[in-house]
Amino acid sequence: MRNLIAFFQRFRVFLVFLVLQLIALGSFFSWMSYPRTKFFNTSSAVIGNMHSWSHEVTKYLTLSEANEELQRELIELREELPESFLSIDAKTALINDTLYKQAYRYIPATVINSSHQHKNNYFTIDAGRLKGISAKMGVVSSNGVVGIVYDVSDHFSVVKSILTENINFSAYIEGSKAFGIVKYLENDPRRISLTGISNDIAIKRGSLVKTRGSSGYFPQGLIIGKVDMLEPLEGKPLWDIQIRLSQDMRKVHHVFVIENILGEELERLQGKIKELN
Amino acid sequence: MIGLPIHIIRFVLFILAQGLIFGKLDFGFGIHPMIYPLFILMLPFDLSAIVLMIIAFLMGISVDFFMNTFGLHASASVIIAYFRPEIFKLFSPRDGYESFRQPSAGDLGYSWFLSVAGLMVLIHHLWFFFLEYFKLSDWFYILQKTLLSGLLTLLIFILIQIIFFKKQKAL
Repeated sequence: MRNLIAFFQRFRVFLVFLVLQLIALGSFFSWMSYPRTKFFNTSSAVIGNMHSWSHEVTKYLTLSEANEELQRELIELREELPESFLSIDAKTALINDTLYKQAYRYIPATVINSSHQHKNNYFTIDAGRLKGISAKMGVVSSNGVVGIVYDVSDHFSVVKSILTENINFSAYIEGSKAFGIVKYLENDPRRISLTGISNDIAIKRGSLVKTRGSSGYFPQGLIIGKVDMLEPLEGKPLWDIQIRLSQDMRKVHHVFVIENILGEELERLQGKIKELN
Repeated sequence: MIGLPIHIIRFVLFILAQGLIFGKLDFGFGIHPMIYPLFILMLPFDLSAIVLMIIAFLMGISVDFFMNTFGLHASASVIIAYFRPEIFKLFSPRDGYESFRQPSAGDLGYSWFLSVAGLMVLIHHLWFFFLEYFKLSDWFYILQKTLLSGLLTLLIFILIQIIFFKKQKAL
């Protein structure tokens, strides 16, 4: 017993060091297992509020850019209004608004804190549970896909950016219809990788990459980016595809969170696949 | 000696500066300056290693809260707190540290400050980026980020020393 106490006294500095390291590293390496890391993020009210104060000060720097973006989107939407169409033949006019059922809802939000220089990046937005946001909702900007909601508090949410190694959602290449999984493998915030596409499929450089909508985060056909680089993967019959993101992740300000109204139905239906096997 | 309230104010200021300013600056090339190791460097000489590590842990966790890094900063900051006594011993002035007010460039001179701060920043950044990538095949990125960010961090350290910690004139 006395030896044991002597041992602890002798190595107590190192033991405290070990315990603190274990706490820190344990939390860091379990960041993927969602519930345990809930504690360590900016959606907690105090830090979220501080980030929104800091954003209040800095948002004026990007105001003109944000305005232009909104204006462009407004024009696009205005062009789709019935008033901007001219009926060629009065008899064939078709009112079809009851034929569609709304499947996705968009909730606007502002990015108040973000990073892009890490291997796994997250950003914080100023909308939370009270605005109807919950985990695993897709987040897009007016230029393209930016991430998936990771954790929410009442007024803030943390979003897993598209620049995260295991972002893993499926996307297809327009033209060839081939689909693969999106990952962030290179350390370049302008590009992400599209993995799992067999290299016997012909793919053109410059073709658009869009969301497939299979996991219900995003509607089908949202733009992610363009095929930028295309090389056969060494030792595997697969393409190594680099996508240039259409939304520059270094300049994200205004985003929309996508609520999939039919998401639960999709999940329930796809959950049955496992039962069949 | 410097009072406890001053250290508490410094603690808060360093966290806010790191979380709201330096963590958000964009320098390209993956450069990510981290200024809070300076706070750990400048804690009083007579703190025991255990107290030092606990303060460093609190500092790191607070920065983690701001940056969504889940314990990465806490680990890196505990590691430099663990090595601080050894590093101080390594660069000890001839008469020891007793006659000095605090570990700053103003008190101990820039050659002492640069060697101690340089070594601490190197350990801190190397550990931080190694954990972030956690793959030896990414050694090039780890080294690149450590060296570029480390140089910028040191430059910011020196500026902070010049602006805020001038040598006190003897009364």
